[in-house]
Amino acid sequence: MQWLQILVLGLMLGGVYAVMASGLTLIFGVMRIVNLAHATFILLAAYLTFFLFDLLGVDPILSIAITIPVLFLVGVGVYLVLFPRIENSPRFVESTVLLTFGLALLLEGTMGRTFTGTYRLVRPSYGVESFLIGDLYIPKGQLYALIVSAVLLLLLAALLYGTRIGGSIRATMQNRTAAQIVGVNVRRTMALSFGIGIALAGASGTLLSFLFPFFPASHWEWVPVMLALVVLGGLGSLKGALVGALGLSVVAAFVMSEFGPTWQPMTFFLALFLILLVRPQGLYGKPLEA
Amino acid sequence: MPLLELEGVTAGYGSAPNIINGVDMVVEPAHSYCIIGPNGAGKSTLLRAICGILHPRAGRVLLDGEDIGRLRPDQILARGLCFVPSDRALFPAMTVRENLEMGAFLERDRRVIAERLERALELFPILRERASQRAGTLSGGQQQQVVLGRALMMQPRIIMIDEPSLGLAPQIAEQIFRTIAGFTDMGIAVLLVEQNVRRGLNAAMSGVVLDLGRKVLEGPAAEILTDPRLRELYLGRQAEAAAGSADDGRA
Repeated sequence: MQWLQILVLGLMLGGVYAVMASGLTLIFGVMRIVNLAHATFILLAAYLTFFLFDLLGVDPILSIAITIPVLFLVGVGVYLVLFPRIENSPRFVESTVLLTFGLALLLEGTMGRTFTGTYRLVRPSYGVESFLIGDLYIPKGQLYALIVSAVLLLLLAALLYGTRIGGSIRATMQNRTAAQIVGVNVRRTMALSFGIGIALAGASGTLLSFLFPFFPASHWEWVPVMLALVVLGGLGSLKGALVGALGLSVVAAFVMSEFGPTWQPMTFFLALFLILLVRPQGLYGKPLEA
Repeated sequence: MPLLELEGVTAGYGSAPNIINGVDMVVEPAHSYCIIGPNGAGKSTLLRAICGILHPRAGRVLLDGEDIGRLRPDQILARGLCFVPSDRALFPAMTVRENLEMGAFLERDRRVIAERLERALELFPILRERASQRAGTLSGGQQQQVVLGRALMMQPRIIMIDEPSLGLAPQIAEQIFRTIAGFTDMGIAVLLVEQNVRRGLNAAMSGVVLDLGRKVLEGPAAEILTDPRLRELYLGRQAEAAAGSADDGRA
């Protein structure tokens, strides 16, 4: 029954991975921005959660109600300050890689200066407790994180498929010119989508804050993980992000139990290489136009 | 007052030189115009500069006497001017019905949208059969019908269509042009850009000839078609080019 235990642990982390990846893929899908700073926003939310818990005693799961709107506003602000300037660049996608890389370094430095380099972990009681169902050991923190992630993803789906704003986001993802000519305010849609993507990063940061210890430079560990998740699913595809996240987190859990934790990060790099070799557009992505 | 009036419109992309230079034009309600001219004459750029995707560098675009040169595409569309680009620009992953409904994005009343959808499906019966099919899987002619149907969903007063026949078989193109020629009966003014001079002028009431970003000829379509200057423009360019290369040879 050990395989079942590993499968369950993998799937539970997959929920949080899916929230991270959905924000990243949404930002790429709508704006063609490769956001290398995504994980620094995750850390920013993790720190916010840490201090809310440490100073005010706010439960980390409840603090999502704070980190989501705060990170949303941060995202909209960052978008409006940085991206309209390079909008008409003929090398837009490449420019976004450099721009967000610089942003990641800037945020990392600022966080290091403000929050120091100490490892932090939010420690609510459910961070160390578990349910025992038969032989199956289910960590409470991971279970709650999975439930919150599922709710967030359902809300995201409801937003995208059930609202006018969602319609304009999907339209802009599929064809920006077409969206423009049917009357979508594309600039506003892009600012909102960036905000939503960063808000999702914020939500996942809050969840990660009690699952993994973090310090200002630990966002680099998450960059290859997230890239593997979204590239497997197909950059820009939300369904792909979900499938990629659940699939790879289960594979990573099995790799960890078979070969030890040292090899776990390798899973994501190896996956990234294999996907790019075999099917560069990912499971649900469109092949790149020449 | 004319519906749309261009006064010395000058436009280009990024930091590149002007593509169109001081174009004047008047568009009357329920009248159709075909814009023709050799490659690089600036036909598509002119349409883009009117609909707000591109902002004119100089000159004025007046809709009902109001300068719309600085407005966003969605604001211009809300004033009744709709653009159909040559790459068809539909939403490939949405169904035909969703594509048509997106055309009425600025209309919030669901009942009104449903009525307009019904009218669009009456005009393009094939789309009713394909209503639940993904638009990306349709043939070129059907995609063009989706895009035209979607344009009508906004009940525009002016439709600007860029090369509707691009990549279509001749019979299908004929059919599309017949539909477009019918738009004026619905009270809509049409601005059409077309490579095929004869077909374009046959579908429109007036012709406008552009060359190297300037308007060189304008008049009733039938007269433009027989104007000797039109022939000169298309054939004369080749003669000049031949003379030019002969000069190079001597130098």
